Amino acid sequence: MSGTARTGASGAAVIAAFLRRDFREALTYKFSFISSVTGILLSSATFYFVAKLVPPGTPSLGPFGGDYFSFAVVGVAFAGLLGMFQEGLAAVVRSAQLSGTLEALLVTPVPVPVILFGSSLYSLLFQLVRTALHLGVALAFFGLALGRINAPGVLAVGVLTVVCFLSVGVLSASFILVYKTGNPFSWIMGTVSGLLGGVVFPVALLPPWIRWISSLLPVTYALDGMRKSLLASATFADVLPDVAALAAFAALLLPASLVAFRLAVRKAKKDGTLAHY
Amino acid sequence: MSGSPVLVAESLVKRYPVFRGFRELILRPFDRRRVTALDGLDLEVGRGRVFCLLGPNGAGKTTLIKILATLVLPDNGRASVAGHDVAREPGPAKNAVGYAVSDERSFYWRLTGRQNLEFFGTLYGLVGPARSRRVDELLRLAGLEGSADLRFNGYSTGMRQMLAFARALLADAAILLVDEPTRSLDPQAADRIRSFLRGELAGRQGKTILWATHDLGEAADCADDIAVISRGRIRLCGPAASLAAGGRTSLRQVYEQAVSESEEKP
Repeated sequence: MSGTARTGASGAAVIAAFLRRDFREALTYKFSFISSVTGILLSSATFYFVAKLVPPGTPSLGPFGGDYFSFAVVGVAFAGLLGMFQEGLAAVVRSAQLSGTLEALLVTPVPVPVILFGSSLYSLLFQLVRTALHLGVALAFFGLALGRINAPGVLAVGVLTVVCFLSVGVLSASFILVYKTGNPFSWIMGTVSGLLGGVVFPVALLPPWIRWISSLLPVTYALDGMRKSLLASATFADVLPDVAALAAFAALLLPASLVAFRLAVRKAKKDGTLAHY
Repeated sequence: MSGSPVLVAESLVKRYPVFRGFRELILRPFDRRRVTALDGLDLEVGRGRVFCLLGPNGAGKTTLIKILATLVLPDNGRASVAGHDVAREPGPAKNAVGYAVSDERSFYWRLTGRQNLEFFGTLYGLVGPARSRRVDELLRLAGLEGSADLRFNGYSTGMRQMLAFARALLADAAILLVDEPTRSLDPQAADRIRSFLRGELAGRQGKTILWATHDLGEAADCADDIAVISRGRIRLCGPAASLAAGGRTSLRQVYEQAVSESEEKP
């Protein structure tokens, strides 16, 4: 039987196999989607009522259309998506270490970056659907006030944001491959970004002595650019500073993350801890 | 040994860093103590042979197999699989071997046996009807065709082990690495695994098998060649016909002598 013809699965077929695997597994958890949708409805309702405490025309909301509910919903919906981009890769590595599947994946001829990307794609797409659903629910039931949407701005900010946050995700995954837990990138980019990145309140409200930290976080520019493009009818020129800042972060983070990942795989193989947890 | 060597290790050295607690990290931050797993190991496995690797716990069997499977990088020396250096050409080396990862946690428990094989089949380069045919063929070979569409979490330990072999055979590599395949199996299930490896894979399909085991009887019954590894080196190596000529008892004697000599003269 030796010599079975292998057709050589393309990268797309391999990625599709990961998606099919995760979709099949997700189908076995029947209440996951229902609880997810319920969470979105409750989150939107919470911000709808909190927004009633914030009078329209609050100066700090001016650059984002002036409506607090829309400001908060866009922040929360996109922060969830960005969180998945930055933590999804590390989460799949950790999950495969803990479940014991990592070793079986790593002995296949599929390159490690493809395994990493393929394993996290379902979660990323699911989170993308959740974000769209979040905005859809807010638009349909709670009066999300969209402005004249600046499509080029959304596209430029979106693409650069994905590159930045996927790079942070690769850095996180590299850390998890070597040190297994205690990922500092997740803490810095998750917890700190939640407070200082302007997710549920404008960065302008922060005291000046701490506001400078916000300027070091890509999430600040991602949310700023996205809100202006979606809510405030901003032109591409208006979001250019955000696009430039995100491009600079991407230029720094992408090569750094690729180098870190290569070094992490090598170190884990050297230490013999590639599949340890 | 007959046949040209398809698995080769030359002066292979592997030392792992020793885990250190906070106290040691603070008191001795530059201490780089290591524990030696392989200490200049040399080995050749000929094409089509069943090569059993015997040795006490911590002797280096699993490290050797993981190096050959490209999961661990050696510190010194070289190892090759079907002529491919595992450190320099990990891609071709991976294609040349099937590593039967026998940890049952290495499967997706909520998927069926067939779905698991279909997923891994794609990673091994199989798609479409070729993959379906191969998966069906392997499920039949492993005696799992009747339970192919049951979830993996409903499989017995023996069935899980057979599915691990089916997965390792997906790429139809000519070389198979197996690490204690009969561990924690009942005697009948263990016999089924042995006869599958020896009779079907080695006998009928002509595969080369590097087989790590603690079971001397298993080695005496199934191996063409036997090596005893202890303290990271091969201490004894030869045809099973001569090392186990007097059956399990004589193999036990030579094994114990080789291990005790390695402890006296490390």
